Amino acid sequence: MAYTLKGRLESRIAVALVPLFAACAVALALKAWWPVELAGLMLGVGLVLDLTLYHRLIAYQPGWAALPLGLLELAVVMALGRLLDVGATLAAALAFYGGAWLLAQILGHAFFPLLRLSYGEDGGELGRAGAGVAATAFVVLAAAGTVAWATQPPVVHLAAGVHEGPLVLDYSQQLVGESGAVVRGGIVVTADDVTIRDITVIGGEHGIQVESAERVLLEGVKVREATLDGINVRRGQVTIRDCSISMLGNEYGQGIDISFTADLAPSVIEDCVLTGGQEGIFLDSVHAMARNNHVRRTTLRGITVTEMAMVEVEENTVEDVLGIGIYCGDYSMCDIRENSIRGVLPDRESSDRMREGYGIVSHYWAHVEVEDNDVSRSPYEMGEFAEAYITHD
Amino acid sequence: MSRVCAIVGGGLAGFVAYATLRKGGLGPAEIVVFGTDPDPAAAWRVRAAAIRQRRMRSESDGHCAPTSFPGLAVRAALRRRSFVPLAESICDRFHPTVEEFLEHVEDLRAKTSWDESFQLAHIGRVRALEGGFELDERGFFPHVLLAPGHPGLSVPEELVSDPRAVHAYDPHDYADEVEVVGAGMAAATEWLNALAAGASVVSVRRREPERRPLNLSRELFTRRGLAAYHGLPPDERTGFLRCHSAPSYPPGRGWDEPLERARREGRFRVAPQLDGARQIICATGFKHGFCSDALLRRLVSDHGLETADHWIVLTPDSTVPALTDADRTLALAGAPAQWSYPAADTLMGAKYAARRFLRKVQAWRTR
Repeated sequence: MAYTLKGRLESRIAVALVPLFAACAVALALKAWWPVELAGLMLGVGLVLDLTLYHRLIAYQPGWAALPLGLLELAVVMALGRLLDVGATLAAALAFYGGAWLLAQILGHAFFPLLRLSYGEDGGELGRAGAGVAATAFVVLAAAGTVAWATQPPVVHLAAGVHEGPLVLDYSQQLVGESGAVVRGGIVVTADDVTIRDITVIGGEHGIQVESAERVLLEGVKVREATLDGINVRRGQVTIRDCSISMLGNEYGQGIDISFTADLAPSVIEDCVLTGGQEGIFLDSVHAMARNNHVRRTTLRGITVTEMAMVEVEENTVEDVLGIGIYCGDYSMCDIRENSIRGVLPDRESSDRMREGYGIVSHYWAHVEVEDNDVSRSPYEMGEFAEAYITHD
Repeated sequence: MSRVCAIVGGGLAGFVAYATLRKGGLGPAEIVVFGTDPDPAAAWRVRAAAIRQRRMRSESDGHCAPTSFPGLAVRAALRRRSFVPLAESICDRFHPTVEEFLEHVEDLRAKTSWDESFQLAHIGRVRALEGGFELDERGFFPHVLLAPGHPGLSVPEELVSDPRAVHAYDPHDYADEVEVVGAGMAAATEWLNALAAGASVVSVRRREPERRPLNLSRELFTRRGLAAYHGLPPDERTGFLRCHSAPSYPPGRGWDEPLERARREGRFRVAPQLDGARQIICATGFKHGFCSDALLRRLVSDHGLETADHWIVLTPDSTVPALTDADRTLALAGAPAQWSYPAADTLMGAKYAARRFLRKVQAWRTR
């Protein structure tokens, strides 16, 4: 078809309507905004390419060109989706995109020519329906945006100064600390869709405790002097970003402990600094990613993954820890890549061979895949124990 | 039920218009088709057979149905139970066979009840009246589409009375030595036919043919190319039409390899003028212009219509501006409609005129 510019835009918007409605329905069902965000992103990318590239470069578009152009748009959508942090899983995003692309082909080649006799010779223009289609798409996106805005959790500002805890967050909200905001005695999260940002927590049994709550974001939090864990998550799904947790002097606690969430969406820990405690990051029966964290001066292990967990451990720095740098055990599956592990000291008080100073340990039927890790100032680089194994990519 | 529309011309362009009107909700009793043969493909069939055409130059949507989908590739895929025609179609490489096209015409003829509307009559005069047109003594119609077809075969003047000369579109066999005048699709087909029949062939041509899949560039089939065309002033538009009527035939090995092989064997060559062969095939197409058609010539003179060179000046929707208003429509389809659509003599061109004619009729009915 030799599209006119108007025809390209009208056809583009028209084929996006069904995916847009479907995205709204899926968003309602999942109580998540990513389908609408993805549909909006697909439409936006397509319109921008139509305006800037396709119309100028493609005077006549044969049917086969839909495939390479579709792949180009997919790449742009995926890149932008990642950049803008659209919360779709890769499989869901690909399925949604593929379905929308296929539908667009059917509509463009069969349905529109049946609906409007002169569709082809009008260069893809839809006549009076074109304006209606554009208006509908605008209304749907505007309505979705309005609902998204209206249903945003309320923002609660925590003033500078010390606030006595424990604070219990039992409804969806964004708790944002002003500079110097401190909570003494811990924070407990029991509601979904809670964000805690820029707050220092001092003391408490756990600095921040997340109980059976999903889509929790902890960003820019600082925790110290907790008696057990810095951040403790049970049956919850969290993203922890840019945190600082000091557990120095805490004999039994972990910096971050996420446990028993294998049936939930993956949790993410990234860009955190964890000092002291038994273990910096402890992941038990979870799906998770630990990326670009700095763990040091722990007394049992740096990062622990155990009990059938599936975890990616990437680009972390683990240093000056006792016994084991990164541990993957008990039927867990770990991708351990591009970590820097240095200064793992042998635990002289333990008779356990694993604790003789290993950078990476795979234990008890665990499967570890390693790639490009740098282990230094440690007696042993890697070790396999009790039917576990390590493979090198 | 009153007769709303008349189609003058029972060939493929008239047939496309009829099928489009039927799709638009008009019943057979509301349409009259005046023609000289009840088979809408009669003239085309003879010409295709004369040049031994096996495949259409047009692609999947080169058909007579009012909607472009399903095209002939879909029909072929269903009949052959194969995805190959669809794959060929998305690569613009599907060309239906002549048999497939003619079968489709027969199917559509039955489905649209063409024969109920067809009247065997030759219309010699269109007279504009208030609110419509009188067609000879055959009746009064608010909306008339003229699809008179090509006004006749074009034969170079110096060959008109030459006993060796035959037009490509007239039935013929091949002598041992054949000179083919022309360089378009029919000429190229005749080169291959004559070579296959064992003849030596001389291609007599004044200019080199262009190689393109369709007889015009693809943008000119849609509004993308048409918008600029419709914006041209009359003198530039006539120049454009002359320029784009240059001979052409499709690229591809199917054309090139037999010619190259024959050239190596000394059985094919190009010459600028005739060289005394025993047979001369005039692949020189059709007569051009409204002056060559008695009906159109009279229409222009009776109503003082605006013309430009050989063409009747039309609006972009293929109607005659001086004779079209809210109460009546006079439209042209087929070759005479080139002023609004350069590829008017193709099936796509016939659809272009037919769809716009239908819009006029629908607007009139819903006033």
